Amino acid sequence: MTAIRLRINGAAVADDVPPRLSLADFLRERCNLTGTHLGCEHGVCGACTVLVDGEPARSCLMLAVACDERGIETIEGFAGDPVMAALRRNFHQHHALQCGYCTPAMLITARDLILRRRAASEREIRDGLGGNICRCTGYTNIVTAISEAAKEASDA
Amino acid sequence: MKAPTVDYVRPRSLAEAVDLLARSGGEGRVLAGGQSLIAMMNLRLASPGLLIDIARLPELTGASDDADAVTLGACITHAAIEDGRMPDPSRGLMPRVAASLAYRAIRNRGTIGGSLALSDPAAEWPAVLTALDAEVAVRGPNGQRSLKCAGFTTGIFETQLAPEEIIESVRIPKLSVDARWGYVKLCRKAGEFANALAVAIAERGRGHCRVVLGVANGAPLVLDQTSQLISNGGRDDLRSAVVADLDRASDRHFDEFQCNLHTAAAMRAVQQVLQ
Amino acid sequence: MPDDIRGVGASLLRKEDDRHLHGRGEFVADVKLPGTVEVAFLRSPHAHARIKSISVPPEARGRVFTAADLPRVKPVRVVSHSTGAKSPPWPPLATDKVRYVGDAIAACIAPSRGEAEDLANAVAVDFEILDAVIDAPRDMRGSRHPVHEQWGDNLYIEHTLEGGDIEAAARAADVTLTREFRMQRQSGAPLECRGVLAYRDHRLDEVVLYASTQTPHTVRVALAEILDIEERRIRVVAPDVGGGFGPKARLYPEEIVLAALALQLDHPVRWIEDRSEHLLTAAHTRDHHYKVTAYADRQGRILGVDAEIVVDAGAYGLWPQGPYHEASMVARALPGPYTIPNYRSRHYTVATNKTPLGPYRGVGRPGACFVIERLVDEIARAVGREPNEVRTLNLVRPEQMPFATIGGLSLDNGDYPASVELCAELLDLPAVRARQQHREPDGRKIGVGFATFAEQTAHGAAEFASRGAAIIPGFESCTARVLTDGSVVLMVGIQSHGQGLETVLSQVAAEELGIDPGSISVRHGDTESTAFGFGTFASRSMVMSGGAVARASRMLRDKLCRIGAHLLQCDVAAVRCTDGVVAGPQGSVTIAEIAKVAHLRMDGLPPGVDPLLDATATYEPAISTGVFSYATHGAVVAVDPETCFIELLDYAVAEDCGTMVNPLLVEGQIRGGVVQGIGTALFEEIPYDEAGQPLAGTLADYLMPGAAEMPAIKIGHLHTPTPHTEYGMKGMGEGGAVAPPAAIANAVRDALSSIGAEVNETPITPRRVLAAIQKAHKL
Repeated sequence: MTAIRLRINGAAVADDVPPRLSLADFLRERCNLTGTHLGCEHGVCGACTVLVDGEPARSCLMLAVACDERGIETIEGFAGDPVMAALRRNFHQHHALQCGYCTPAMLITARDLILRRRAASEREIRDGLGGNICRCTGYTNIVTAISEAAKEASDA
Repeated sequence: MKAPTVDYVRPRSLAEAVDLLARSGGEGRVLAGGQSLIAMMNLRLASPGLLIDIARLPELTGASDDADAVTLGACITHAAIEDGRMPDPSRGLMPRVAASLAYRAIRNRGTIGGSLALSDPAAEWPAVLTALDAEVAVRGPNGQRSLKCAGFTTGIFETQLAPEEIIESVRIPKLSVDARWGYVKLCRKAGEFANALAVAIAERGRGHCRVVLGVANGAPLVLDQTSQLISNGGRDDLRSAVVADLDRASDRHFDEFQCNLHTAAAMRAVQQVLQ
Repeated sequence: MPDDIRGVGASLLRKEDDRHLHGRGEFVADVKLPGTVEVAFLRSPHAHARIKSISVPPEARGRVFTAADLPRVKPVRVVSHSTGAKSPPWPPLATDKVRYVGDAIAACIAPSRGEAEDLANAVAVDFEILDAVIDAPRDMRGSRHPVHEQWGDNLYIEHTLEGGDIEAAARAADVTLTREFRMQRQSGAPLECRGVLAYRDHRLDEVVLYASTQTPHTVRVALAEILDIEERRIRVVAPDVGGGFGPKARLYPEEIVLAALALQLDHPVRWIEDRSEHLLTAAHTRDHHYKVTAYADRQGRILGVDAEIVVDAGAYGLWPQGPYHEASMVARALPGPYTIPNYRSRHYTVATNKTPLGPYRGVGRPGACFVIERLVDEIARAVGREPNEVRTLNLVRPEQMPFATIGGLSLDNGDYPASVELCAELLDLPAVRARQQHREPDGRKIGVGFATFAEQTAHGAAEFASRGAAIIPGFESCTARVLTDGSVVLMVGIQSHGQGLETVLSQVAAEELGIDPGSISVRHGDTESTAFGFGTFASRSMVMSGGAVARASRMLRDKLCRIGAHLLQCDVAAVRCTDGVVAGPQGSVTIAEIAKVAHLRMDGLPPGVDPLLDATATYEPAISTGVFSYATHGAVVAVDPETCFIELLDYAVAEDCGTMVNPLLVEGQIRGGVVQGIGTALFEEIPYDEAGQPLAGTLADYLMPGAAEMPAIKIGHLHTPTPHTEYGMKGMGEGGAVAPPAAIANAVRDALSSIGAEVNETPITPRRVLAAIQKAHKL
């Protein structure tokens, strides 16, 4: 077991974990933050995406021990975040989710696209979502929702 | 699947990392971005006994810019290159390549050194760095040595890296002002591994022209005849030069479909140069 | 219809969204119980082998369970009433033989999943390897080592369906075309894989299963029988389910084993499937071979179709329906929405040493549509006409309906030719044709293709009985309850896993009760709290469950009106439910007030009226042969002749599902279905090698459509309500996935028309395009 200290959604967390434990499993099983989902555990589907030190990362491909001294943000966070709020509102308005399994990761990825100014056109948004599989919606409404949220963010 | 049992250590210096690796009795494996290694461990295709985490070592995450070349630390991420946060010796080629690699979340963690060390035949960096005439500095218990990227990859997942060596940095000569480059990655689904990959670089002033293919069933394949053709400024017989180069590579066992893809990729990369 | 903007017809935003947008969904892996132990399955690495011995290391005794360690578990047996159907017993953990790669041999338990996998790897199994049956057409009559030795062949069932006189059609034909078609095996691949959490509830004396399933009630039926426990002592809960699409509408060995483990051990047990395991062992789908001949006259009128259909159904039958329906569904749907007068289908369902086959969005229809729509295009080429002209020539016209197709389907109503026109309009067909006159700057070839189909939905007793099903999902149920404060709960037997039924069903109740959908909760997925129902699959839930909700709501409405009239001291005929009240000629009383009387002040009730506001109703449509939604899909593609890569430039759907209860959600279902269909058409396959090893084990091999490759999907609607259901609605959940393979294959054919290359196999990969081009050059 290895001792780790990190910040999750702004709160300090200390724990002892086996090195083999992924960040995803650490969040889900040790921290009871189950909004981060597992869809493949080989980095392709994107359902496990969280922010690590402010950047989207696959929590299934990170070890919890390698996150010592890092800051993690999961879907349970983002309180007061205006871009996330705009995204949530627009996902709801435009029916951009069905079963909801891909949604937390989709939101985190979309927020990053907007912050990096990579959501100005439909093409850009679609390219930016390549790493997030949705099996239910067919993507059209997700793209619309992100596009609208991006406009709100740039107007703000 | 879940990764098998493993130990983990985070050394505070490259020297310490090299030492840990040397003393690990073959059980040690360097962990940089983990985007390939952890995936393999999750699939139980790799089960090292000890992970040596070098991702945050300052010696490996810096970049330097001298008159002739840029040196990038091995643990610089694809995203850092994509975003232009690193000095760019390639006049836009490397950021373009980085942006085409997998997905942003992978690029935020995956590293240029990691890509080289693994040398997946479908990877981008080995072919691109071969075309750019780059050199890789590796550090082992006996010190540092420098290897040319062309030739560093020796086969599928095989490199000149010795088991106790760690890639320290990549030194890329700066392209000349008149340099032109072309880059083509063919794949059906954004972010997947390339089905074909071609890089073309022409620096006529220096007489340096190189066309390199990735996804070549082994090490990146330098298309000598094609490179010679564009070096001479020729553009006629481009297709036959490419086909001749592919014919000569019979040891790679490309089937007709692969040959078509390689030809298309090479021709399109060269056309970007010749425009 | 009342001018209520939040009932039937409203594009109401979903109630389900809030929890998912905040990561507060509750999928099976999110349910936490103290003391839970993780399960990993030891699975066969061989496609076909006898088990000679299983060696469990001594330190692992008590943590590894083979079939011998779970004696109460009986084999699963699908019952089919179809003549000649063979049904192999399926032991949930292999006993003497393994019959596909992934076949479960033992359940291993440990504090963590990783440790459970370590344990599975430590168990040694000695196998005697047998020849694997992997070529369904070749081996259906027998093989050296048949999949089920007692059979003598490898056929679950074979059947011939005939109508009219196919020989006469052959003689009369000006055009005779024969083609082979192939749909490769694939996975339904919902984003959430399967999972089961099982434990004993001692207070209620039940074994409880949380399972990612589309059909909780029928899972309970099966578990009761297989484990020999009364149903009252089993509870099955489907919490949030991250996509189902068909593969989760079947009973699985893992559910049985987990229940048995929970009963035997004194702590909760959990199995969460990972993606590689899912690609290996969750139901595989499609996997059809076809050889079909079409006969037509020189106008392109189809005189007859003669088909041979082989379904590669894998090693076992998935309960309850088994593999028997897939081939017969294809056979019945293959004549399409056309007036074809002569037909023969000989269809075979073959056992192979592969993962068992299950239903997936559209089931037999995508294959049937692929075949007939490709043939329509080829007939058009043969007679020198535009494909859509030939399509329209053969389509059943509105005035001919109801129309009994030669395949035995009863097409109810609709304007099929209008859907063809509308789709062509959405794609601007003239503009595409004009574009095709000029060379593209990048040298790519542009093509456009269409496909029309009718989708049987909400079919019930007659249809399932004709399929020989032992379990007939012919109705749905609803218990509607007004609580003492006037809020409403609907308890339904379906299971919403993305369709938005928590929202649309409350719209139906709102429509009938005159209250706001926001005051209505929908409970589903839990056998504890809902009356028996069959679950969500076969495009049935809106019609069946919506109908049950409507009926139960009306029963409540009538009682509310009776009590309300009494309280208002007027005649019951003079009151109505509206805006949350019962309104009479001189005043109104709120539903909350009525509810208080019905529960807390029953002394206020009219004579002859009992307390409570609780109604249970069942529903089936007026006809059980199904109500048919329909659509024409169109695709525009660009094919790169050098690389053979295909890009989808445009896609349109012109559809009709009758009355749309929530148009926003209907369009969501269409788009989602289309992208799944595009996955079938271009990307998804699980190939098997000669030894029976599946070759797509990760999402790096198994390509699923992503946002970057998908076009924006245009949708146009026609509206032909059906008289046979509540509000005139039809099911439509699967339709989106039915036509894309056909439309895209036709578009590729069109793009390569100058070469004459045809790809009649899905997925249409660049390699297959190249092979088609090479074949055309040789002719």
